[in-house]
Amino acid sequence: MTVTAPRPVDDAVPGSRPAPVPPRRRRRRAAGRVTQAGPLTYVLLVLTALVSVFPLYWTAVAGSHTNAEIAATPPPFLPDADLFTNIGRAMDEAPIGLALVNTIVVAGCITVGTVLCCTLAGFAFAKLRFRGNKALLGLVVGTMMVPTQLAIIPLFLLIAELEWVNQLQAVVLPTLVTAFGVFFMRQYLSSALPDELLEAGRMDGASTARIFWSIVVPVARPAMAVLAMLTFLTAWNDFFWPLIALTNENPTVQVALAGLGGGYVPDRAVIMAGTLIGTLPILVVFTVLGRHIVGGIMQGAVKG
Amino acid sequence: MTVLRKSRAALGVGLAVALLATGCGGSDAGDDGTITLDVGLFGTFGFEEAGLYDEYMELHPEIRIEETSVERSADYYRTLQTRLAANSGLADIQGIEIGFVADLVANHADAFVDFAALDGADEVLSGFYDWKVEPATSEDGRVIGLGTDAGPEAMCYRRDLFEQAGLPTDRAELSALWADWDGYLEVGRRYAAAPGRAEGTSFVDSPASIFSAAVYQGEYAYADEDGQPIPETSDGVQAAWADASTAAEEGLTAGLTQFGDEWNSAFANGGFATVACPAWMLGYITSQAGDGAAGLWDVAALPGGSTNWGGSWLGVPESAENREEAVALVQWLTAPEQQIKMFTREAHFPSSQVAAEDPAVSGAVNDYFNGAPVGEIFGQSAASLQFTPISRYDTQIQEAFSSALTNVATQGTSPDDAFDDAMAEIDDIVG
Amino acid sequence: MTIASDEPQVASIAAPSAPPGPARRPSRLTRNRWGYAYVAPFFVLFACFSLYPFLYTAWISLHDVDLGDVDGAQWVGLANYGELLTSEFFWNAARNTLTIGVLSTVPQLAMALGLAHLLNYSLRGRTFFRVAMLLPYATSIAAATLVFGQLFGRDYGLINAGLEAVGFDRVDWEGGTWSSQLAISVIVIWRWTGYNALIYLAAMQAIPEDLYEAATLDGASRWKQFLHVTIPGLRPTILFTIVVSTIGAVQLFGEPLLFSGNGTTNGGSSNQYQTLGLLMYDQGWTNFHLGQAAATAWAMFLIILVVVGAWALLARRRARAER
Repeated sequence: MTVTAPRPVDDAVPGSRPAPVPPRRRRRRAAGRVTQAGPLTYVLLVLTALVSVFPLYWTAVAGSHTNAEIAATPPPFLPDADLFTNIGRAMDEAPIGLALVNTIVVAGCITVGTVLCCTLAGFAFAKLRFRGNKALLGLVVGTMMVPTQLAIIPLFLLIAELEWVNQLQAVVLPTLVTAFGVFFMRQYLSSALPDELLEAGRMDGASTARIFWSIVVPVARPAMAVLAMLTFLTAWNDFFWPLIALTNENPTVQVALAGLGGGYVPDRAVIMAGTLIGTLPILVVFTVLGRHIVGGIMQGAVKG
Repeated sequence: MTVLRKSRAALGVGLAVALLATGCGGSDAGDDGTITLDVGLFGTFGFEEAGLYDEYMELHPEIRIEETSVERSADYYRTLQTRLAANSGLADIQGIEIGFVADLVANHADAFVDFAALDGADEVLSGFYDWKVEPATSEDGRVIGLGTDAGPEAMCYRRDLFEQAGLPTDRAELSALWADWDGYLEVGRRYAAAPGRAEGTSFVDSPASIFSAAVYQGEYAYADEDGQPIPETSDGVQAAWADASTAAEEGLTAGLTQFGDEWNSAFANGGFATVACPAWMLGYITSQAGDGAAGLWDVAALPGGSTNWGGSWLGVPESAENREEAVALVQWLTAPEQQIKMFTREAHFPSSQVAAEDPAVSGAVNDYFNGAPVGEIFGQSAASLQFTPISRYDTQIQEAFSSALTNVATQGTSPDDAFDDAMAEIDDIVG
Repeated sequence: MTIASDEPQVASIAAPSAPPGPARRPSRLTRNRWGYAYVAPFFVLFACFSLYPFLYTAWISLHDVDLGDVDGAQWVGLANYGELLTSEFFWNAARNTLTIGVLSTVPQLAMALGLAHLLNYSLRGRTFFRVAMLLPYATSIAAATLVFGQLFGRDYGLINAGLEAVGFDRVDWEGGTWSSQLAISVIVIWRWTGYNALIYLAAMQAIPEDLYEAATLDGASRWKQFLHVTIPGLRPTILFTIVVSTIGAVQLFGEPLLFSGNGTTNGGSSNQYQTLGLLMYDQGWTNFHLGQAAATAWAMFLIILVVVGAWALLARRRARAER
């Protein structure tokens, strides 16, 4: 068990002692680990999974049939080889390759920035007392309440002033932090992080920065993993602002997809085929890294 | 421990990427003397598909054309409005749709190059139909764009459904039967009452189909000459409302919302027998109804005279980086020769009279539509078109009337109540 | 640390004015000027890119502004707000927002909680299920539009075909008031349940196992454990999701826009599923009345403030009562 205990950055701060791990932390375990799932659980989960997967499956079906075929009664229920032809056409029509690279950069930056800034701020709001912290938290939550669809006009004026139009930072920076993330981390840490743990670290003479890295971050990891997943997805699918700020010269995936299948007759098969390859990378990331990302949700509790 | 170190490394890499991404906002490189023209369009232009850019770049090796397109014009327009407000980020050439040309003419005419002030403008402009130049002309005579395609309207109908209902199927005979909308509604009543009518089919797709075609046949539609909305007093609205609400009330329509999913499906399933069709809708029908319906459709004249639905322009922002080259490209793309190519390759009907009268256009037939002489039918429609003033609110007002008519058809709202609802909505829209 | 000692803090979440409470021992750590350093990165970006647009919207709401001529704004004071209060379209949208909000948020959060509980069991294929739960949120709007359009179609929709097959009448899902609001709620629930389930799941990891062990020793059933250990342990997170979902419900915009199928922003032929978010978009982007749209935006802000304030008050009362 001690192997998995979080240790401070001993190579970065030589001579400092590892923060002690209070014995009770060792007993914290994932609530469900010991409880075996019954057959009913599996039935419910499989049903939910089917409902969740269906529209994506339908994307593949629609991506391999013409407008008329997909609108027929009854509609086709299986994808076919035309899907690959249509994917090829979609790749020809829009710079999807460039868009994928751009989106990985954009969504990656937004995710890293959001998780970092929001964990820092969330920790401060949850556990540190400083003058005006409640007013500031109120401001954070308050900004979530004002809808943003109109804000794009002043935002674009600002971006134009900075000469960032059609450049990726025009999308990255305005979406780099979210009030949602701060509020989320604050709520999580306020109950998940015992004050005693912080006190103990403090008694040991650890600096605030060390306490953050070696005590707060390990405890926060499940929430950080979830925030990262949600942020990445939101950034990946965001199109309202990117469509204003970028064009197909330097697009994100959603901007590139918005240009697909044009004509007086929107070509739905190409649009859906494009949509599918625009979504697949997320699936690949989640499937390949799924164990790690999803595992992160467990680690804070198990290994902390 | 290892996990922690790994994730910290990942964090570092991520940050480095972030810094890189924000650090290097690349600019257009390449000082080999070529000029890159950015063309910003929405879905319906089709120059690239028709190969016109390649042709132009071959003629002008120093020019490179890069098109960025947004499929839905509403998304495109939102971006254009934002960029016009900031006067920044505009392309060298911007597409302009009939749905928002009035807004641009009224509010942003100065932001676009005036095609009437260029050398040889009279000659260029005289090639277009008057009704195509008029909507792009501001009060002080600036012309903000040159016309690409147009949408003269006709009436498309299903021969097989007509035959089952015991109605004539000959296009000349039908054109005579529905010379006006009363005649059309009469045919509709015969269709609805026919014992042999295919089960579950309606005569016309939607009341909006009748309304939107008939409204522009009046002297005024939604606006007066100054572009002020006059929906309550215009002759076009009154006549169109009477016809469309009658059709809706009598159950002659399928009560569908045009361009909705159900409307699309209805083409594939043969849900209705007629639909008012601008030239560009022939492609829509072909695609939605599919190969199985080849030869079943036909085209007759539109009841009540001709009218136009849709069509676009190309404008050059004053702030364009390569203003002159952009103007030259716009003039080339909209010239009669290219409009003819757009018709033969992409079935876009010309907005240039010269092009429309060319045998390649006027002699065209459409096999899918039972060999209908579409060049002649739409050419006649275009030639007899009269300009009707438009306002920036035409689309929104039409949407309000269409919605109210849908309620008559599907919710049993009385036509008078529906009209009042529409007027209340329009008051709110116009503000 | 016990769960109970966290309660006063839970209550103070959205009510910044709440006193820290004497139960909490002030310490060297928690009295810390470092707090500013921790929140600084967020607030620097926040000030650059969020605060200005936020204030701009407020300023615009006091002007008569046309989207085509943003520079020609005319000061009108509170006239835009006055107009809203007398506008039948505003009240209609407010009503619709409320009903859709209740229809979608309550089942969504309840189902998310249940789903998180199931996912928390020791499972085969746990990773698969968790990724699957997030798929609706990863699916693009265009694909979802197509699917739900085909499901809820009046003449050719699959749901109606099913209803007819078992002897019911077809429903004009999009045309009716209740039917359209129900359909939109289904889309909202589909899209956001997995999202919330994941948030709950993360929070469940922070509940100490010894609480469950103690409960088991006391002979509590699984259901009792869920009620008396899991739910109290999740309280800050539940409050969080309620606040966020409330905000999301009042700002609901994408789903009704998607549901119309042809991109119109009027929320149905009788505005039967026009929400406040869609109304604002309609006013600003379709009808060019930026000032009015901004006033609607701020009206939405006030509505959310009142609702969230009520939630916070309620949570505080409960916490007090329980102590």
